[in-house]
Amino acid sequence: MAVWFTPLMIQHDILIIGAGLSGMRAAFEGITAGLDTAVVSKIHPLRSHSCAAQGGVNAAINPKDNWRHHAYDTVKGADYVGDQDSIDMMCKEAPQAVLDLDAMGCPFSREEDGTIAQRAFGGQNFPRTAYAADRTGHAMLHTLWEQAIKFGTKVYDEYFLMKITTDNGRASGAVIMDIRTGQLHQINAKVVCVCTGGYGRVFASNTNAMTNTGDGVAHAMRAGAPAADLEFVQFHPTGLRNSGILISEGVRGEGAYLIDKHGQRFMQKYAPHKFELASRDVVSRAEATEIMNGNGVNGAIFLDVRHLGRDLILERLPQIRQLSIDFEGVDPIHDPIPVRPTCHYTMGGIRTDKWGQSIALKGLFAAGEAACVSVHGANRLGANSLLETIVFGKITGKAMVEFVTKGKGRERPASSNDDLVEVSGQISALKARPARGGVKQAAIREELVDGMQEFCGVFRDKDGLEEAMRRVQKAKDDYAKLTVDDKSDAFNTDVITALELGNLVLLAEATVKSAQERTESRGAQARTDFPKRNDKKWMVHITSHWDAKKGEVVLGRDEVRTVKNAKYAPQERVY
Amino acid sequence: MAAKKKITTKTIKKVARTAMTAQDTKARMKVKPPVEKVRAPVSKKIGRPAQGRVASAAKKTAPKPAKLTAKGKATQKAPKKVKTSKAAARNPARKFVTLRILRGTIVGGKLVQKTQDFKVPYDQRTVVLGALEWIKGEVDGTLTFRRSCRASICGSCGMYINGRSRLACKTKIVDLLQGNESKNIAASGDGVIEISPQKNQPVLKDLVVDIHPFYDKVKKIVPYVQDGPEKEHHVNKDSFAQVNMVSNCIMCGGCYSDCTAMVENPDFLGPAALAKAYRFVADPREGDKTKRLQELSEKDGIWDCTRCGMCIDACPKGVAPMEAIVKLRSLAIEAGVTDNEGARHAMTFKDDIETWGILNEPFMLLKTKGIFGSIGQIGNALNLAKKGKIPNPLPFEHKVERLDEVKAIYKELQDNPLDVKTKAADSGPGAG
Repeated sequence: MAVWFTPLMIQHDILIIGAGLSGMRAAFEGITAGLDTAVVSKIHPLRSHSCAAQGGVNAAINPKDNWRHHAYDTVKGADYVGDQDSIDMMCKEAPQAVLDLDAMGCPFSREEDGTIAQRAFGGQNFPRTAYAADRTGHAMLHTLWEQAIKFGTKVYDEYFLMKITTDNGRASGAVIMDIRTGQLHQINAKVVCVCTGGYGRVFASNTNAMTNTGDGVAHAMRAGAPAADLEFVQFHPTGLRNSGILISEGVRGEGAYLIDKHGQRFMQKYAPHKFELASRDVVSRAEATEIMNGNGVNGAIFLDVRHLGRDLILERLPQIRQLSIDFEGVDPIHDPIPVRPTCHYTMGGIRTDKWGQSIALKGLFAAGEAACVSVHGANRLGANSLLETIVFGKITGKAMVEFVTKGKGRERPASSNDDLVEVSGQISALKARPARGGVKQAAIREELVDGMQEFCGVFRDKDGLEEAMRRVQKAKDDYAKLTVDDKSDAFNTDVITALELGNLVLLAEATVKSAQERTESRGAQARTDFPKRNDKKWMVHITSHWDAKKGEVVLGRDEVRTVKNAKYAPQERVY
Repeated sequence: MAAKKKITTKTIKKVARTAMTAQDTKARMKVKPPVEKVRAPVSKKIGRPAQGRVASAAKKTAPKPAKLTAKGKATQKAPKKVKTSKAAARNPARKFVTLRILRGTIVGGKLVQKTQDFKVPYDQRTVVLGALEWIKGEVDGTLTFRRSCRASICGSCGMYINGRSRLACKTKIVDLLQGNESKNIAASGDGVIEISPQKNQPVLKDLVVDIHPFYDKVKKIVPYVQDGPEKEHHVNKDSFAQVNMVSNCIMCGGCYSDCTAMVENPDFLGPAALAKAYRFVADPREGDKTKRLQELSEKDGIWDCTRCGMCIDACPKGVAPMEAIVKLRSLAIEAGVTDNEGARHAMTFKDDIETWGILNEPFMLLKTKGIFGSIGQIGNALNLAKKGKIPNPLPFEHKVERLDEVKAIYKELQDNPLDVKTKAADSGPGAG
């Protein structure tokens, strides 16, 4: 097999990995500040999973609303383990961030008077979710891509991240692979930003794209930037039973019921005020409890919209109806839709300060789902994820511009060809491994994600997590024996998916270890053996570090950043 | 695990249906509630069209991949063994379908293509993408295709399936086999599903095409809202009705693949780029609408569309690019952008019909292309004449009957013009 080396190191000022909403928003700040900005993405920017966001983006635009109410809802939704300075900043900046995007040409839906329309979402006390029909993420992503073309941002599309390189405790760039040719390139940059999204594919049933494998988070950990909050994984209450495809929270916003196999509503037992529109962790746990008590069918309960009537369903929920028919074989006009809690979002990510810079590795920034800023704490509110991408894409982008133009960041760190050689060796070794005695990646992946789903899902306990850890360990062992069929250079997706699996295995290990460590129930982490929240001990982030010598994840702690606001004092969460 | 193995597609369907609709509580009680963990016992994820034993049994019997040699010769073909194998005999309920995939590799700078058959287990819910993932995971890891969201919103998995460009993630095997009128899918005659890469684009490997020419054309239409004299600052509730119609586009390239005008003129901007252009012309915030219409009226633009309608059929998101192109044409003429062949052709057409109720093709050529342009067409004309296909240039030979009715239609439209911007709503989802 031929290995090509690029004769020259490519140089940029700002290197952004990931071309979803966060990455493109950060790139906008870089390029409009006149800096040489490049974005690397393993798929074309418009294929990024940001496009799948349906519901909308929260912002206190309405004069009757107040960003402080939004911040309060977010702190409470996060089960008090979110960083309050970041949350305040996000909610305060939210209206401007949405208006920025509107000015760029994003076609947000309107009210009669021309103001941006807003709808109600779960866990919040004001209808503050701005939207563009039922494809808000899609409209926003196309808009930011248009801006990248307008300003000439360099986009390396279909390039896969192989390694984040460092120089004396500072990020110095990345080694990337041109998927089309298999050629490796080394990029040297003054600052690197990871915007690669979450790693929901580590669970068998999920709403994520097949490309959501947490590559950036895993590589940042390997480069010495710790991650945090990995135990907090959001299970969306309404994923389709078989495919896990998302049925938007907006359906419950329109008045849908959750019912058990006897046709009875059950949310009144769990959320006496908000019923189906409680926060997602609450609803998912309610569903899981009902299913465990035998009130479900084949691992699912039902989302019922029949009472809304045929006309309303056809008018406002046509896409949902089509998805149900296409992927579940159920027409919601006549039958309830079988749904179950499905992995949707990973609150954890690369641990950063308020401005998006890693707490340990200088010059490495992160934004969006890949980051743990942390505005979502233990549980994210619906429509706060799109908000995080555009607010922290912007803030992190500006912080990077400052880093590159002021102080020591102006000096270019060194990149070494050794990294390129090392990566090249890894790929050769993977391809050279003989099929005999090897393990196929599909088998490893299936065992891993099934184990995570079963033992590290909505409810967790000591025994289950130990079993999950055994599965992860087996996946780690098997991964060393993984063989690929495709030995070619060009468009070798066999190798790409194998490398993605390696990233998933690392993140699975960190997730299980963090879940074992946190001996309490908070937000999305529900331990049946520790059913209570323990504020004395656990008002803290658990960090995950990659220990290369030991070849395993080790844990640490990082404090929750607070502001002086009596309203943010922990209370029992009732919806 | 034992319970898991017994479940077949039929029982799943039956159980699900009875549990959801039947009044019979006995039937409900038969459904074994999940014991402890939230986990569906069957068909957990889209990547595996079949589960447990079905998958593993098929794995044993499924064909070894035919290796493409350097010369591009596949060494082995469709496995008939599967049908008679012991595994199949033990599991008569399991169904298989043949996927005939056009594979390709670049050898020495040249594309070498060859079809290869795979027998894939499927059930009622299996989509083409699931089947492809199954092949890649269980049979042949070298099979190459793009995919990401699996919910028809990212546009990665556009490919040519049974004679039309479709998204693999939303096209069901059963629909392809049995046909589905509501999704505009005809039944496959021989029970074989033929899959090849999208057309009108260079193939890189197997089902992967080079998407850059497609995106380069999107970039050509200046794909962002510009400041300018025609910018409106007030936006009301219905301002984006037209924008919404085309901004459903996910850039999957399906329309581009199936575009017939593209075959004739590879430089044609194509349906997706032009639909995107319409998105900006229709946006009240756009400042340079007329300039856009002028540029779009030039060569390779809106007038190169043949209005065959293939793009409407191919679009998985109901964008109807051709409708957008027709609207752009109307808007261009309304804005006075008429000094081009396309507009002249359209206007001559209109005038001819109004005057004579019939087309005068030689005159049409003269008016559209001008004298010098027409001289260039003499070769074509002679060829046509040889085959007796040149009509009499004198229109007075055939008098059209009831010309007054034609004129009445024109008058009606002149008195009550159609508003382009409200003409033709969303045409609904196209192909499966």
